[in-house]
Amino acid sequence: MSPILQGILTIIIGVGGCVGYFYLSNIILDRFVFPPRDDDQGRNIARATAVRPWLFLMPAILALGLYLVYPVLGSFLRSLYNRSGNEFVGLGNYIQMFSEHGFRVALFNNFLWVLFVPAAATFFGLLVAQLTDRLRWGSIAKSLIFMPMAISFVGASLIWKFVYAVDPDIGIINAVRDFFGLAAVDPLQIPFWNNFFVMIIMVWMQTGFAMVILSAALRGIPEETIEAAILDGANPFQIFFRIKIPQIAGTIAVVWTTITFLTLKVFDIVYTMTGGNFDTEILPSYMMNYMFRDDGRATAVAFVIMLIVTPVMIYNIRQARKEL
Amino acid sequence: MTDVSATPAHAAVSERPQGRSFGKIALRWLLYVVLGLFAIYYLMPLFVMVTTSLKSLEEIRTGDLLSLPRELTFDAWRTAWSEACTGIQCEGVKPYFWNSVMLAVPAVMISTLLGAMNGYVIAQWRFRGANIIFALMLFGCFIPFQVVLLPMARVLGLMGIAGTIPGLMFVHVIYGLGFTTLFFRNYYVSIPVELVKAAKVDGAGFVRIFFAIFLPLSIPIIVVSVIWQFTQIWNDFLFGVSFSQAGTQPVTVALNNIVNSTTGVKEYNVDMAAAIIAALPTLLVYIVAGKYFIRGLTAGSVKG
Repeated sequence: MSPILQGILTIIIGVGGCVGYFYLSNIILDRFVFPPRDDDQGRNIARATAVRPWLFLMPAILALGLYLVYPVLGSFLRSLYNRSGNEFVGLGNYIQMFSEHGFRVALFNNFLWVLFVPAAATFFGLLVAQLTDRLRWGSIAKSLIFMPMAISFVGASLIWKFVYAVDPDIGIINAVRDFFGLAAVDPLQIPFWNNFFVMIIMVWMQTGFAMVILSAALRGIPEETIEAAILDGANPFQIFFRIKIPQIAGTIAVVWTTITFLTLKVFDIVYTMTGGNFDTEILPSYMMNYMFRDDGRATAVAFVIMLIVTPVMIYNIRQARKEL
Repeated sequence: MTDVSATPAHAAVSERPQGRSFGKIALRWLLYVVLGLFAIYYLMPLFVMVTTSLKSLEEIRTGDLLSLPRELTFDAWRTAWSEACTGIQCEGVKPYFWNSVMLAVPAVMISTLLGAMNGYVIAQWRFRGANIIFALMLFGCFIPFQVVLLPMARVLGLMGIAGTIPGLMFVHVIYGLGFTTLFFRNYYVSIPVELVKAAKVDGAGFVRIFFAIFLPLSIPIIVVSVIWQFTQIWNDFLFGVSFSQAGTQPVTVALNNIVNSTTGVKEYNVDMAAAIIAALPTLLVYIVAGKYFIRGLTAGSVKG
């Protein structure tokens, strides 16, 4: 089979290329550029040592420059030009965008997503982590709830398409409505609330993540603090809210921001569920409507996303540094 | 936490007046109700997906959404694999599945190897500028990819690999680098510097130390990195939909096309089977190596 051969060839070229680069550049540095002989042997060894790390980081630096620094700057510049890219329009794309209904709907919906998804996922995750901790089959329940994490957003959306299907033979929701003698509805077309039906999918996927991390944090709480509370006659609710929650507040914040962050970037779900119709557009999916059609507009949207994400990103990286 | 119920402290609580024990029973029931609701929310969709894919279309039509299939049939799976239509072509998910394999396997290997090297250099050869490079790489993990889509499309075009599998692979390697570097750097930071010093004294060079000492020590983190990268790349949709063309699309894009193709009768069982097939590799990884899967996740986000 030729595709397999091709694949193997790519692996050999790619991996071999990397190893070869590290190996050869090292030899060249030691033998030819700074050879440790003659009078300045010591100095050359020191020089080689100073250069070496950069040599080995070179592929990564090049890659990052080419694929990170250039694209970000390039994107920003592009967003200042018109649709075909031949006329400088300054902030024209941004101004025009903000005056449009579609964009404002997307912005508003994004706001809803950021409010609802991280809160719901973190809350459910915490609840499941706490409740299943006491059960014998808790770990099985946890693995099952975690399972959606392994599926792609597209796969998950597809599954939920069936939950929401209008046909009562297929859609769970309409099957239930049918059972009670109600007419079928399309949950994805109910104004405003359809956003939540789409968000529920994201919550469904991210709960497992919140659960796993919070569960570990709950286990890490010193037993003594809980035992002391029990001796003092605290009820389970008091123990949970007054003793446990404050002790894992830091982890809750990290989980919350991480999911916020993912939520701001996800476009697959909206794209597959509604294609942005029925006022369910969010910024990332709104951007894809313009991708390769009106690049000026698309990059402008991308920059709005970037601006919104940046504070969360900085907070998250800082928090992570603290934990390290 | 489960041990608490066995401690004397807990026994003291249960000896209190009965008002409390009623509350306890109510609480227990509440607990079951909540867990039941959770079970419906989290498990029902998965359950329906599997059972639907094993039913025939006629059986789906009879209603009984939640019943187990009366007759097990793998026809839907067969159709999804080799006959389902993605737009005009009707080859099933098979070619796209292989596209994803050919894309993911080399990309995972290359990004893991480069990440290991970067992590080693940053963690063990502390030099000026190391922190800046590392910060930039973290930035690379977290940047919203929407921002880089268009310029990257241009770069791929200039390199002449736009719309090809190697092109897409390249993109995944680049954006995976941040994470793989992060994994290895955090892992190598805890390896004592003395080890490197001793090896240097014995005459081992930079490359030798990496391949002979660090790489053999890193099996667990290699597993974490491979799993993380594999699930990321396999499940990716954004890059796939932006940087591939008919014939080179990864399986997620094909899956979307199958489900959204409007030709003919809607074959729900086939769609479900296609979804399962597309998810199988990552699910398998999760089932076989769940522990490492979770470790990657925590390392990637909590310590990101």
